[in-house]
Amino acid sequence: MRRALFAALVAGLGLLALYPMVATGYGIRFMLQLFMWVALAQSWNLISGLTGYVSFGHVAFFGTGAYAAAILITAHGWHWVPASFTGGIAGVVLALIIGYPCLRLKGPYFTIAMLGLNEVMRVLVSYFEGLTGGGLGISLPILYASVEIYYGMGLAAVIVTVVTYLIITSRFGLRLMTIREDEIAAEAMGIDTSRYKLYAFLLSAFIPGVVGGLHARDQGYIEPLSVFPLLTTITMIVMALFGGKGTVWGPVLGAVLLFVFQELVWAQFLYLHQILFGAIIVFVVLLMPRGILGVLQQRYHLPRTI
Amino acid sequence: MMENFILEVREVTKRFGGVIAVDRCSIELAPGKIYGLIGPNGSGKTTLFNCITGLEPRDDGEIRYKGACIDGLKPHQVARRGIGRTFQIIRVFPELTALENLLVATWQPLDVVHRRALELLQLVTLERLQNEYAGNLSYGQQRLLEFARVLMTDPELILLDEPAAGVNRTLLNELLQAIRNLCAQGKTIFIVEHDMKVIMDLSEKIFVLDHGEKIAEGPPGAIQTNEQVMEAYFGR
Repeated sequence: MRRALFAALVAGLGLLALYPMVATGYGIRFMLQLFMWVALAQSWNLISGLTGYVSFGHVAFFGTGAYAAAILITAHGWHWVPASFTGGIAGVVLALIIGYPCLRLKGPYFTIAMLGLNEVMRVLVSYFEGLTGGGLGISLPILYASVEIYYGMGLAAVIVTVVTYLIITSRFGLRLMTIREDEIAAEAMGIDTSRYKLYAFLLSAFIPGVVGGLHARDQGYIEPLSVFPLLTTITMIVMALFGGKGTVWGPVLGAVLLFVFQELVWAQFLYLHQILFGAIIVFVVLLMPRGILGVLQQRYHLPRTI
Repeated sequence: MMENFILEVREVTKRFGGVIAVDRCSIELAPGKIYGLIGPNGSGKTTLFNCITGLEPRDDGEIRYKGACIDGLKPHQVARRGIGRTFQIIRVFPELTALENLLVATWQPLDVVHRRALELLQLVTLERLQNEYAGNLSYGQQRLLEFARVLMTDPELILLDEPAAGVNRTLLNELLQAIRNLCAQGKTIFIVEHDMKVIMDLSEKIFVLDHGEKIAEGPPGAIQTNEQVMEAYFGR
């Protein structure tokens, strides 16, 4: 059974790798954005799904990565691949700086602090005009690289999902979950929860930074409002919650279902899709807090690796 | 000759605002024995446990474990030094299985830990439920699981906060025997318990707290006839 699933997974990835050969421009852009949402939802899952520390400012790492990459590409002539990777490192550095004070906060206080971080980053990039272009943003040199960025985003989504799988199946992952379950008991068991939370936070900040860099390159233009929107954080949270936080495939499933749904509804009804999105949040929080896979896992005793 | 103590609590005080939860309390535990800690509700027993394990910073006094001061250590550092504890209100990890609850507690290789975890689940008669989520276990089973989990870290000093609460009689006898076996292996056990029969049967020495103050200490027989203790429990 496991072999069959693994074979299906490899085949699926193979098909996705070949997809650009037959896809239309719209198809590539659609999948590229889907990969981005998978990567973002999965990254959020690493800190919030596993440790229970709900981050409402994860887009700060995305925006920081976008700006870092855009500056390196425009001002220093870097290729977009190393620039995006450096965007990931910029996300990690920001997480390191903010993680020490913020991860001492519990529950809603951490959430509010992270929300504040996003606002602070948006104001900072608006303020330092010389470096970031301020409110005018940064225009990147024209480049037609949708297919290459498709692979970049896809790789980011695969890497963060594999990392999530490895973490969830390890004792490191179990210890992260003990923080979510009962942090005081985890401490009393000898688990250095501060250190574990920080590790998870750093891991969760890297991929949004990389994806932010790829997004900047893909869009060709960024400005503070476009890369630090609260809606991006909310979307990744809803995707992870809907699919099942704390699971391997939940954020993937949530991103696929909601992104496809959003795309279908958005095309038909420009404003209605936001109302429906809000309704989904209410539905999930009230009736299905574990998400689709969380419910299936609990009800049918499915392994933690789903 | 001076006795070597595994734990020395010297004049420890803990205040919460205007309330003195623990008041200049001194306690000494020799290794390899079972000690009891009793007192009416709100007498400071759990707070004292919290001070010892680093969950609550004490306001005054000193706590020494195996001769070294452990004041200011974080709970995980205290645990790694060899002090394990259970809680008055059960704190298992509900969305982890019974087996996983035990696996997280140590840093040894996984195969060694796995074997040890299964042994301990067998000890508390939960081996059949090893893959069940801890949150789905009954209250008594969760208490036994918590007891097994604390043993995973192989602590030298074990603080048990009401281990008998909610455990049925048959299992309770096994639990009490397990505690005696631990003592026979050289572990030091410090128990808070409201079930007087349990605490009197188990303990070699009992400390009594009332309003945060230690009002008596001695062997069970002496505590049972101590007037100050009677007064604390039943009033004048």
